[in-house]
Amino acid sequence: MGDSTLYTCPWCKRSSDASSTSCPSCGAPVDVRKAVTKSGWTEQPPIKDMAKIQFGQSFCQIEGTLVPVADFKLAAGDGVYFAHHLMLWKDDQAQISAMKLKGGWNRVLAGMPLVMTQAMGPGRIAFSKDHPGELVAIPLDRGQSIDVREHVFMIATHSISYDWFTSGIWYRTREENNRETHYPVGMFMDRFTAGEKAGLLLLHGTGNVYVRELQAGEHILIQPSSLLFKEPTVRMNLHFEYPASVWTRPGTWIVTSRSWGNRYLWLRLAGPGKIGVQSHFAPIEDPGHRMDSFEPNATEVQW
Amino acid sequence: MNALQRIVCTWCGAQSPQEAATCIACGAPLDIKNAVSDSGWRAAPRLRDMTELRFGNSTCQLEGEIVPVAEITLGGNDAVFFEHHVMLWKDQHVAMGVLPLQGGMKRALAGMPFIISTASGQGRIAFSRDAAGELVVLPLHPGMELDVREHAFLLSSHSIEFSYTRIQGLRNILFGGQGMFMDRFVTRDAPGLLILHGYGNVFERRLAPGESILLEPGAFLYKAASVTMNVETQKLTTGLFGGVGMNLARMTGPGRLGIQSMYHHHNTE
Repeated sequence: MGDSTLYTCPWCKRSSDASSTSCPSCGAPVDVRKAVTKSGWTEQPPIKDMAKIQFGQSFCQIEGTLVPVADFKLAAGDGVYFAHHLMLWKDDQAQISAMKLKGGWNRVLAGMPLVMTQAMGPGRIAFSKDHPGELVAIPLDRGQSIDVREHVFMIATHSISYDWFTSGIWYRTREENNRETHYPVGMFMDRFTAGEKAGLLLLHGTGNVYVRELQAGEHILIQPSSLLFKEPTVRMNLHFEYPASVWTRPGTWIVTSRSWGNRYLWLRLAGPGKIGVQSHFAPIEDPGHRMDSFEPNATEVQW
Repeated sequence: MNALQRIVCTWCGAQSPQEAATCIACGAPLDIKNAVSDSGWRAAPRLRDMTELRFGNSTCQLEGEIVPVAEITLGGNDAVFFEHHVMLWKDQHVAMGVLPLQGGMKRALAGMPFIISTASGQGRIAFSRDAAGELVVLPLHPGMELDVREHAFLLSSHSIEFSYTRIQGLRNILFGGQGMFMDRFVTRDAPGLLILHGYGNVFERRLAPGESILLEPGAFLYKAASVTMNVETQKLTTGLFGGVGMNLARMTGPGRLGIQSMYHHHNTE
């Protein structure tokens, strides 16, 4: 469109008039240059203090920069849902109730929140998380889906449906007769899909957030717990690397050895599609025990 | 100097010279607009790195922006008190002491610090806490009473009276997210300086008489003594699994109320 008064956000691709200092759809500042690393990661610009994001008849104001708060003013008929421990404050008008979820037992066993809470307008309600980081606002168009690692999700508007699926990312170790199954990205992943109407999804990344668009066939290895989100078209599998230990024995021998416990564990992501990672991630606790079995798509390299 | 030639700080009400970029009493930047959300929360002033402020014969310099440090240069006869685990470093000749406290057993049983340390001038001493957050500088005028979440105060000048107030009601104690007591700071005839550390970002609002707001209890940071706190439980039912109860603190005015956005204690190790 040739209208010079329109601004197209490089992050969410939505158009708006050029009068605002931040994109009304995702909150990204309009007056900063896109910061792209030489390796292709794009640094998500932090949403400016007090920036506003519009959805439906409601809006969300982002407050603070260390542990940002998402402060919603819900219009009548608009609603959001969230994990209940994220609520910071609310006024008396906003009505909260429990949202029904399928597969309660599985969620309990997987350590996922059993109760998703919903709030309906009119009224004000605010949310924040318990780590320094950034809020990532993802506007979803009709029919668009996004997959999110568990415990990363903050808030979604009620026009977005919530579902979850088994991640399929696992490996099993054995120590004598004890077998233990590990899920480096969690047993399940959340999937959010915009239905008949577009919606807004808010995630919280711990530390800084980086995104990149993987081309078809392109792949990258990441720390499993650094994954924030991915488009459903992005495929995942585990990737093990076994480094070699090399030393010289007295004389002329060169000895190479590998041990079961000396391995790197990666999440391999293959395009096409967009992915997001966070810079502060929890280390994966790999006990280093002998590998017993792993998910069928896992790959390995012995160096 | 003509009163018109001075700038009034909107955070603490102190007057600073017209050429000052930051308030001499609380360090708030004077040359930027206050950040106030549409819902009425005002962000605590984002204190600039290396900002200096004065109290009594002493100065305080605020350093860093992620886990900020308060570095005090104590003048003669000035002193500050603090919980000993927040002390970062000090000059060797800064004299240390212990603040006499009442109800030591109760404090120990409630998990509050049994000993409040003091440091007396002259000399330098610095303080910081164990997580990313903001320093909240609160110059207290005579006659003010402020209640503070336990362990949230970083330091206070010796002119401020320190005591504690018991949280009323079993429900408030069990589900209020802060134990049995709150610290209470009172100024009598002399003004004083109180510095708190809030996890994450800090916001304040002034509640009108009878006005109330529901708060995640762990977000509470400080309040005027006139603000009341009562925990309410909202049941969120989920059929077969019974559901969970959500505890919210109803804070009712009149008075100022401060909250922190990162409401779980977060160890940095």
